[in-house]
Amino acid sequence: MKTRARWPRLLACGAALALTVSLSACGSGSGGGGGGDDGKIHILVYGDASNKVEKQIVATFNKTSKVKAVLDTIPGADYQQKLQTIINTPQAPDVFFNWGGGSIKPFVKADLLMPLDDFIKDDPGLKDNFLPSVLSSAVLDGKSYGVPMRGTQPVLLFHNKKVLADAGVRPPKTWDELLAAVKTLKSKGVTPIALGGGDQWPTLMWFEYVYDRVAGPELFRKAVNGDKDAWASADSKKALGMIRDLVEAGAFGTNYDSVKYTNGASPALVARGKAAFELMGSWYYAQQQQDAKDFAEKGLGYTAFPTVPGGKGDPSDIVGNTNNFYSVLKKTKHPEAVEKFLKLMYSDEFVKAQLAIGNLPTTTNTPKFLDTSASPAYARFQYDLVKKAPSFQLSWDQAYPPSANAPIRQAVQQFFNGQLDTDGFIKAMQALPTE
Amino acid sequence: MRRRPHYLAGAGSLVWLFLVGLPLYVMLAATLRTHADYAGNGPLAFPKSFTLDHYTGAFDSGFGRYFLNTIVVTVCVVGLVLLLVPPLAYAIVRSTSRITSQIFRLFLLGLAIPAQAVIVPMFYLISKAGLYDNLLGVILPTAAFCLPMSALILSGSMRDISRELFEAMAMDGATPRRMFFQLVLPLSRGGLATIVVFSALQAWNGFLFPLVLTQSDSTKVITLGLYNFQTSHSIDVPGLLGAVVLSMVPVLLVYLFARRALVRGLMGVGGK
Amino acid sequence: MTTQMTSPPAVAGPVRKARRAESSYVARVGRPGFAWALPATLFFAVFAIVPLIMVAVLSFMSWNGLGSPEFAGLDNWRRVLDDPVMIKSIWLTLLLTALGVAVQTPLSIVLGVWAAGPQRNRAVLSAIYFIPLLLSSTAVSVLWRALLDPNFGIPAQVTWLFGDGNLFGEQSTAIGVLAFVSTWQFTPFHTLIYQGAARAIPPVLYQAAEIDGAGRYRQFFHITLPQLRTSVITSMIIMIVGGLTTFETVLILTQGGPGTDTTISAYYMYQKAFKGFDFGAGAAIALVLVIAATVVSLIVVRVSGYDKMRSTMEGVS
Repeated sequence: MKTRARWPRLLACGAALALTVSLSACGSGSGGGGGGDDGKIHILVYGDASNKVEKQIVATFNKTSKVKAVLDTIPGADYQQKLQTIINTPQAPDVFFNWGGGSIKPFVKADLLMPLDDFIKDDPGLKDNFLPSVLSSAVLDGKSYGVPMRGTQPVLLFHNKKVLADAGVRPPKTWDELLAAVKTLKSKGVTPIALGGGDQWPTLMWFEYVYDRVAGPELFRKAVNGDKDAWASADSKKALGMIRDLVEAGAFGTNYDSVKYTNGASPALVARGKAAFELMGSWYYAQQQQDAKDFAEKGLGYTAFPTVPGGKGDPSDIVGNTNNFYSVLKKTKHPEAVEKFLKLMYSDEFVKAQLAIGNLPTTTNTPKFLDTSASPAYARFQYDLVKKAPSFQLSWDQAYPPSANAPIRQAVQQFFNGQLDTDGFIKAMQALPTE
Repeated sequence: MRRRPHYLAGAGSLVWLFLVGLPLYVMLAATLRTHADYAGNGPLAFPKSFTLDHYTGAFDSGFGRYFLNTIVVTVCVVGLVLLLVPPLAYAIVRSTSRITSQIFRLFLLGLAIPAQAVIVPMFYLISKAGLYDNLLGVILPTAAFCLPMSALILSGSMRDISRELFEAMAMDGATPRRMFFQLVLPLSRGGLATIVVFSALQAWNGFLFPLVLTQSDSTKVITLGLYNFQTSHSIDVPGLLGAVVLSMVPVLLVYLFARRALVRGLMGVGGK
Repeated sequence: MTTQMTSPPAVAGPVRKARRAESSYVARVGRPGFAWALPATLFFAVFAIVPLIMVAVLSFMSWNGLGSPEFAGLDNWRRVLDDPVMIKSIWLTLLLTALGVAVQTPLSIVLGVWAAGPQRNRAVLSAIYFIPLLLSSTAVSVLWRALLDPNFGIPAQVTWLFGDGNLFGEQSTAIGVLAFVSTWQFTPFHTLIYQGAARAIPPVLYQAAEIDGAGRYRQFFHITLPQLRTSVITSMIIMIVGGLTTFETVLILTQGGPGTDTTISAYYMYQKAFKGFDFGAGAAIALVLVIAATVVSLIVVRVSGYDKMRSTMEGVS
């Protein structure tokens, strides 16, 4: 029974250790975090690789400013959840990252955000130095609530050049050419279009483009503002019919719902020539560069989404993530410091730093530096696309308030796999909350 | 007692080894190959490249600090659980008081409270207590949510202590306190070992409480650091898995070193 | 002895009535008071019960996390109980939980009993078996998603079994995958419980059985299993509660899809509360879950007599 006495002693030791450590932890951790009134401005951003630039800009700001800035990051996926929990508490930040549109609508409604119109009056550069199609995503009820702070990410149609050449197909300029390409590619045993249906949002991109080409941006604008009839219109039904045709033509193969984009599976299909096309945001290029460098440089082609003859949408309309924005809380104690900080978002230093990590800023001085980007041709293609686009539709799941996010994704997945028919889809979209 | 080998059981254990081993192999292999190799040849292929970038990358993104924080949280949570649960389980098993059986029901109810459900009120409690963005604010709720399961496990193990032993001690006029230290604790080593493992894992892998209750880099724990490998549109699979392997190593080391003690503990009453 | 008779018999409470008259005295002295349970109970009350009560109140409020909550009466409850997705999610939750218990219990008993053996290779293997427990759910889900990818994972190699590999596109296979992955992840923990319990079975029982000529299977069913009774109940309660509240695997593996075909209640609550910021409805779903899990575990405890059980060792040594 030698061990008998050991346990209580071990227990006591463990407890003593725990107490000591927790007390010391208490000492070291206190006083941190939260906005409150510590004489600093807190900047809250989505935590990922882009933080490098945000850190640099904060450091630049702190060099000259009396009021110091502190950068807090929240791990990606749960950013919105954490933000919503703290935004109306003393722990709220002064400035925070967001996606514009629906992601800040509830905060605007709750009167938590500061309209930036006074800042803009003070320094018109906060408006004039940015591309207008991007700025409009953060305009609610005619007031401006956000300053672009990362890169723009339009959705493009990517393809594997070699696969297309082998099948004798040219990148499609119109919807009919796309359908024809699908048929040819399928007969060659290639999956025509790679789709990461398991993530659900890549499926949504097809709806965003087809609706825009068929009905123009107006239909969705009405719908997101509460006009439920928009979804039941003839244009809406036509768009759904076209998507149905594409799915039924076998464009996406049969197992797309088991494929994910986020773990690199669908880009690998294209890089390895098992699929020909993929519709994806502009970050796709960087993804392919990381996973398949040779392919990204020599074999990866990209075009704008095909036009739909007879459609109401302008062929140069684009959809995607317009940009990320900094918004400002009304109750910030240091508005002058915040304004000074926001001005850095169109500085040369900011633009160069963003380009260096592969983001494409949407400032008017961006073209000056495009050649410093890692892939100048690609950056220029996108920049021109965004600059010329009469309408840049923010992704539907970002344009609607957060509560609509899950139902939208479910509905598009169910429409693709046949669980919802046209009427079912229309009903699901009509049931979405718009405020 | 020597017994002949059991072929069926042996075969079954090999099947299970395959099911457990394959994903672990894929994980290790992925962390040691380049991105291009992983993405180009698929997770199952034999690695054609070798790199340690995914491990050094993890450290560059601040893992050292996160490690330290996680260790502090884990040690404190385990300490709190070891301090609170044995007396509780002892009372549940041995007390004749009606209140105790109500308390047992309360903990059964507590088993089913998903942390997700209470996170918003928890945020208010912790920030009102001034513990927001402080490791103590993570430790306390994490420990609290370990209690029901630990109480259930430990009381289960204490129930297995023979009644005759208590009666023998009672005959000698032992106080409840003496029985606790001399009889109950030594004989429930198995249960104690299990709750240490359980609460350590809860604390080590805890995500939600640290996410909502901390903010600055100085209080970040490993599970939050794993999100450095995930952006809104993609996951750096080899990088993420490299960080996961790193975060697993300390626990695995503790397990390997403590295995003897753990297994002896698990033998519980049988070891006497 | 007469004074003993006047004290109220301990019928409720976790104590079984002493059977033999002479042991009734010793059975009553040396009992700890409820004070032993107080520190843990108070701690738990502050950090779990108080928030739970706040959640209960919240389920009668309408709140998006921003303004101040407004009283909404039974509105949330009516919405939640009328919601077809919610009703479906309850069935899915029960199905997944039942699947989990049905698969994991026999598996972990067998593995636990096997691992309890003294051979050296078993120690090495059980160390390996233990590893899945150390991985965070995120890592587990990412790994299995990669392994089950229809084009680059196992299904592409074993097409005769998986067909086109559309495991996540059909409800039945998606549920199968979820049940399998949680089995993979949590079996080690239950194995640990059974391993400890199997070690604690006195060898004398087996020796006696061997003398009686009982074979290995008879020994397993007539000695091992009955001796593991407490552990089976403990482990089953853990599985049930775990099954009712799992959501991370769903979050990363299927996101509740295809459509809402794997949207289990805990995930639905997460979606309502944290993706939709409808905290009132989220709170109502959470309460349904808490109540369901409590009822189920109380039933298990009652039916098994767990709360009155003293010792499986009685009359043995």
